[in-house]
Amino acid sequence: MTKPRLAIVATALVVLLLAAIPWFGSDVVVQFGISTLLLAVLAQSWNIIGGYCGYPSFGNSTFYGLGSYGVAIAMAQWNLPFAVGMCLGAALAVIFAFLLGLPVLRLKGHYFAIATLALALAMTAIVSNVGIAGQNIGLVLPPLNNDFLFYELSLGLLVIATLVVFWLTKSRFGFGLIAIRENEEAAAVMGVNTTLYKVLAFALSGLFTALAGGIHAYWITFLDPDSAFDIGLNVKMIIMAVFGGPGSVLGPVLGAFVLSAISEVLASEITTVAGLFFGVVVVAAVVLMPRGLADLSRRFKSEGWRYFANNIKNYRL
Amino acid sequence: MALLAQVLLNGVLLGGLYAIMALGLALVWGVLNIVNLAHGAFIMLGGYLAWHLFTDLGIDPFLGLPITAVAMFALGYVVQRGLLNFVVRAPMFNTLLITFGIEVVITYLAQLAFSADFRTINPGYAGNNVKLGSVIIPEVRFIAFAVAIVLTLGMWIFLLKTRLGRAIRATAQNLVAARLYGVEPRHLYAMTFGIGIGLAGIAGSLYGAVSQINPYIGAALTAKCFAISIIGGLDNPLGVIVGGIVLGVIESLALLYVGATFGDVASFCVLVAVLIIRPSGLLGRTA
Repeated sequence: MTKPRLAIVATALVVLLLAAIPWFGSDVVVQFGISTLLLAVLAQSWNIIGGYCGYPSFGNSTFYGLGSYGVAIAMAQWNLPFAVGMCLGAALAVIFAFLLGLPVLRLKGHYFAIATLALALAMTAIVSNVGIAGQNIGLVLPPLNNDFLFYELSLGLLVIATLVVFWLTKSRFGFGLIAIRENEEAAAVMGVNTTLYKVLAFALSGLFTALAGGIHAYWITFLDPDSAFDIGLNVKMIIMAVFGGPGSVLGPVLGAFVLSAISEVLASEITTVAGLFFGVVVVAAVVLMPRGLADLSRRFKSEGWRYFANNIKNYRL
Repeated sequence: MALLAQVLLNGVLLGGLYAIMALGLALVWGVLNIVNLAHGAFIMLGGYLAWHLFTDLGIDPFLGLPITAVAMFALGYVVQRGLLNFVVRAPMFNTLLITFGIEVVITYLAQLAFSADFRTINPGYAGNNVKLGSVIIPEVRFIAFAVAIVLTLGMWIFLLKTRLGRAIRATAQNLVAARLYGVEPRHLYAMTFGIGIGLAGIAGSLYGAVSQINPYIGAALTAKCFAISIIGGLDNPLGVIVGGIVLGVIESLALLYVGATFGDVASFCVLVAVLIIRPSGLLGRTA
């Protein structure tokens, strides 16, 4: 078997193994699994706009919130089924991506990051004043005590998101995004419709983020503006994607798994200073492996421990 | 009418404080091209330093400013030289992430050291007011405003006239050319970051005198500083004064006319609008 085919078979085996976890794992494991899988979906969605297109979005938590509220409004206010709520949330996110993507995606670098951050902050306050969204009290969804279903849904969503990212590495659209990341003017000159590609990437990223938000809302059965539009979550997805390796197919997923496991272990072992250690891990990771786990696994074999020293040498002043 | 005048005055006084809060962030951003997500956390640290100087040693928050500034400058210099320097040339995500990590660490250490209680620096003259017609001017707020404006103007003169200030501006414009003229970038970057953090320390002391501090105020303050730097532009300290006052007035007006929850919405909408129409800021030169 050739090497890429081996990787695909190995990935498929891991997915099957993950799918089997609810049959033999305890409740705690399954719940940890659901939240980790959803975080992995978020990291992977951010990877589309941030990793491939090179636009550091801090507005993805807005999509997450819209997805959550789509499900919550449909189920709690209109008594519609979950699937309809998911469609509503996804539609809201895609519309938002198109409407605000057009002006905001004209900005670059830090400016784009801050504009999206500001939009996300504004959304929290706006939703707190919308009657149908329960204002700042929030909404309570009908409970469904079926962690098995939530687990398999989250895993399914992660697989689809990852397949889409894999498709990016093979398709004209994906090459267009990478061209925009590397040099937007050059991409435009080569005939890439940069505005369209960027907005589509933003919408695609928003779509998966919203679906993850919808699943999370139904699973938790409660949401309020502060938790649904939490900027901290956006920072988390960026950290996971960058820790794993932005612009790679499996890096963000790996990053989400590893960081969730680390913070879970820290939270249970040393509760009081868990957050502190998380901060230290982030700082150390940025200094020692600035290109993420994906790059580490590629280059560690040839460079050994010098890999870390080389990174510092490359990026220090 | 009197109410409107009072609200405008409150906005302007708040704006002066905002200006000095954002000044350090804008300086570091403009020169090092690092958006320091830990800036708000450093402001918080400055606030606690001033609080301890006041409660433990009885040093007035305004007289204690030099001590806070020097201590925070030293901290900033060390953080830049010993940590940020390793990632200065890495992609933007990485510098954002490392400062976020520093923010998390500072916030947790502050929570362990100072507890999560709200603190206010309350000198004897805290309640004094001056009446000017129908408008009331709270003394502490006015002093904080005056100090902030004077220091911001001083910063402007420093950047224009002194050797170090010129070296900083040269580096912001072109690192390679500055190096050719004998600027030692590692030292200069650390000096700039130190000055930025020193300013954050001063801003924190003033903030502690007019408002409440606890370990978690950092993130929200960073977001405000962002907004101000963008509105004012990065290449001119006077821009931060404009940005700060614009934001302070908008927030105060929104509080009065639209309701408390819309204060932040208004400022962020202005931010997005400014970004889209004039990405280099109101006073900034167009890129």
